[in-house]
Amino acid sequence: MSHIHLPDGVLPVWLWVTGFTGAILVGVILSKFFKREDWSRRLPLLGMMAAAMVLGASVEIVPIAYHVNLTVISGIFLGPTVVFLAAFVVNVILALFGHGGITVIGLNTLTLSVEGILGYFLFHLFWRIFKRLTIAIFLATFLSLLASTLSMIGVVSLGTSHYEEIIRQGEGEGVLEFRLLKERENQQKEESMKGEVNLKRFIAILLPLGFLGWLLEGVVTSLIVRYIYRLRPDLLRLGEYAS
Amino acid sequence: MIQLSYLDYSAVEGKSFLHRFSPKVKLVGMGFVLIGIITLRNLPALFAVYAILLALFFLSRVPIKIFSLTFYPLVFAVLFIFISRFQIQFILLIFLKVLCGSTGVVLLLATTPYPSIFSNLGRFLPSLFVVALFLTYRSIFILLNVLEETQHALYFRGGIQWRHPWRSLINISSAFGHLIIKGIDASEKMYESMVLRGFENKIHYREK
Repeated sequence: MSHIHLPDGVLPVWLWVTGFTGAILVGVILSKFFKREDWSRRLPLLGMMAAAMVLGASVEIVPIAYHVNLTVISGIFLGPTVVFLAAFVVNVILALFGHGGITVIGLNTLTLSVEGILGYFLFHLFWRIFKRLTIAIFLATFLSLLASTLSMIGVVSLGTSHYEEIIRQGEGEGVLEFRLLKERENQQKEESMKGEVNLKRFIAILLPLGFLGWLLEGVVTSLIVRYIYRLRPDLLRLGEYAS
Repeated sequence: MIQLSYLDYSAVEGKSFLHRFSPKVKLVGMGFVLIGIITLRNLPALFAVYAILLALFFLSRVPIKIFSLTFYPLVFAVLFIFISRFQIQFILLIFLKVLCGSTGVVLLLATTPYPSIFSNLGRFLPSLFVVALFLTYRSIFILLNVLEETQHALYFRGGIQWRHPWRSLINISSAFGHLIIKGIDASEKMYESMVLRGFENKIHYREK
């Protein structure tokens, strides 16, 4: 749900250009945290986790228009720095399959990486507090998804005036006779025109569907991490907090 | 995602005029499609772009199975129409933009082998990013093979049944868990073999 599943040409240019600029800036700053050798050591793992995220995104739960992201798990395995590049790569590949526009890659990267980075920190925080794997991973996933969905709603709401412009332009294109009939309704319509873009309805539909998705992904992520912990506990590196 | 292998097969084995075009030309063409999608706001113009893309799609003899991929993004576009007052013009505009974008990119991938796309991207993008992109694309195929093997195990454990949602969730999660463990193991082997072959943060592509 944290993806902005918008096609190209819907968001205003300033918004997606800012998204790209922001994503590139964050990427450049984060890349300074690692040495070149460290990057090359982590690239194959980045590739695998990003591939798992792409596969997760391809399993569509149609009734609620949701797919699992696996970003929180990726954040835990890759760490907050590398998961940002993984989110960038995932969004490029998904855009190449038409899953989200190419111009929204920057914004999608920023919102998706919120999920991965927050997931990493929340998981370690909750693990230290509760010492229970299932609770820690469920809460970390649920809250990270909530945060990224809210940031996505924030991004979509920034383009309100642009959507209004598109809708009004659409209304302007009509047959002459139809326009004459419409003139009577214009006065009534003008009042409602102010509320043309119904963000409240969008949020009212998105949040309940999102809630189901966050619960589902929280459960799936908890079960995946429990499975991994049973077979390969070393991968989670939880021993660091054993003392 | 299974259709990814068809995309790859079509890109490598296809012999149509679009397959023979230089990847650079096709990338520039995709750029023009993108500019059209961003700037066009009237339905006939967008419909014309979509019609051209459809004509190219069928003329390039891309397997018809892949065509369904272009409709996938509509599932998510449906959510966005709630933002308007269900205005038909706006909905059609959104849907056409979605279809133009998805048909364009699927056509590009189905007629251009991915190493050619990535090597062209490598001319102006940081090598680190292009390597990550290449390794991810490669890893998708590795994980798809693992997933295929896992499907049998999943079947023996009851598979996915809507009548047993909890069991199905456990099975799906175990499959993903297995996929991740196998993926991490494979990534370690991949790193070792890359170092053995002298990898230094850049992948060199063989020119045709």
